Amino acid sequence: MSVETNNNIKGAIAEAVLEHVYDPEIGLNVVSLGLIYSLIFDDEALKVNCTMTLTTEFCPMGESITGNVKTSLEGAFPDHQVEVILTFEPAWSFELIDEEGRKFLGR
Amino acid sequence: MIPGQSVGNTAKTTSYKVVLPFYIYAAISFLVSAVLLLLSSEAFLGHYFQPKILAITHMMALGWGTMIILGASHQLVPVIIEQKLHSNILAYCSFVFAAIGIPLLVYGFYVFDMGHPAKWGGRFILLAIITYLINLGISISKSKTENIHAIFVFTSVVWLLITASLGLVLVYNFSPGLHLLPHDSLHYLPLHVHAGIIGWFLLLTIGVGSRLIPMFLISKYTNKKLLNWIFILINLSLLSYILLFYVANIPQLIYLSWCMLLAGIILFVYYCRSAYIQRIRRQVDDQMKISLLSVFMMLVPIILLFLVILILSLFSKESVSLSMSYGFLILFGWITAIILGMTFKTLPFIIWNKVYHRRSGMGKTPNPKDLFNDKVFKVMGLAYLPALIIFVAGILTKILLLLQLGASLMLIAAVLYVFNVFKVVTHQAIKQ
Repeated sequence: MSVETNNNIKGAIAEAVLEHVYDPEIGLNVVSLGLIYSLIFDDEALKVNCTMTLTTEFCPMGESITGNVKTSLEGAFPDHQVEVILTFEPAWSFELIDEEGRKFLGR
Repeated sequence: MIPGQSVGNTAKTTSYKVVLPFYIYAAISFLVSAVLLLLSSEAFLGHYFQPKILAITHMMALGWGTMIILGASHQLVPVIIEQKLHSNILAYCSFVFAAIGIPLLVYGFYVFDMGHPAKWGGRFILLAIITYLINLGISISKSKTENIHAIFVFTSVVWLLITASLGLVLVYNFSPGLHLLPHDSLHYLPLHVHAGIIGWFLLLTIGVGSRLIPMFLISKYTNKKLLNWIFILINLSLLSYILLFYVANIPQLIYLSWCMLLAGIILFVYYCRSAYIQRIRRQVDDQMKISLLSVFMMLVPIILLFLVILILSLFSKESVSLSMSYGFLILFGWITAIILGMTFKTLPFIIWNKVYHRRSGMGKTPNPKDLFNDKVFKVMGLAYLPALIIFVAGILTKILLLLQLGASLMLIAAVLYVFNVFKVVTHQAIKQ
């Protein structure tokens, strides 16, 4: 699934940055895993809303992953206020993993 | 897409400072137990109700199994119930009480002095459990979601409280002139043992394992109805055993309890198998292999238990070596295998979170699995499995050399385990 965004250029920058944020248990980055649902930019208010999920609601690394997403986006857009929104609707599923990720998992 | 919650600063996970002392204490306890096993190998040629074996059993059950489970559950329960742990102070108190109580009790057994050391040990352990139960109960009561895993965990701690209370009564029962129970302590020993093994260890393992195994396998499998049935069957098995054996005095019907227990375990094996089949990640790491092996290892003691009951009912005589193998396979087999596997699935994450929290976006960081030495882990596994088989063969054949060889291999496994635990715990951030 590609990440939904309202700003292709900033969205691509954000995706590139988030490709360095890994789920430490699986060893895949959060973009390849399909954890990032949307990256919505508000250029007037200088805000970026990142809606994302986790592989499981009970993920013990959840706080660390969402924290890393926030820190990474704040680094890429220092003049923006970053908000990370966690959702489990729709729940994460295998279908959300990209081709590269599937190869990595042996699928 | 349904809008979710904004991620704030409210930490849901328990501080590593609360959890680590439990892991370190447990690792040292495993090492001490393995040393005692080697030094006391000869004791396994006789009856199991003797000082050294009682000391090793309590060191393994409390210092090793219970301490690491308490530590891990302080970390995992908030994740399971989606609610912060009520109190870190209570968690520290729980650790301190248990850390004081366990060596006192074990010393009391080792020298077989049921006076002050054993009694104070028992009291401190009871305090540790009550403190944990209060902390857990308040945390669960604040949770908005009802979940079967939390029910398993809470019920298991209630059984632990019953086990420890009965244990303390048994210690008092040894005091000259103070007979709290109508029969001698040996009569109540099976109840104390099974409330601990089935009520505490088994229920807790299933409650936490049913959440963690699919999670670590990255499997979407879940089956609440099946878990409900497992919960009912195991509790009914234990309650019916107490009723049939101690209240109604109809030991002939004890097979009913055994059948319910077997059914509960088989259903859990089926649950784990389904999670394994539906896993997303093809490759299963060594830690998960040992953990999955431990699930199947539950079946070995249950078969031995059937043989113990059968021999007891046919010949009105207990087979001591079978009973001893049964206990050994539970403590050094099933429970140890789970811990050996799960330690290196949970501890590296706790340390990784501590060291690399909010750093992964700022440069390369190692994976949690890189925090321990994989080769040492493999050698530990290679020493552990033969240790288990050879020692049980020694118990059954009463050959001292086999017992000593098995205990030596177990000691090697324990040393390697402790080495890896300390390697993880002392990990420092890799400089950029």
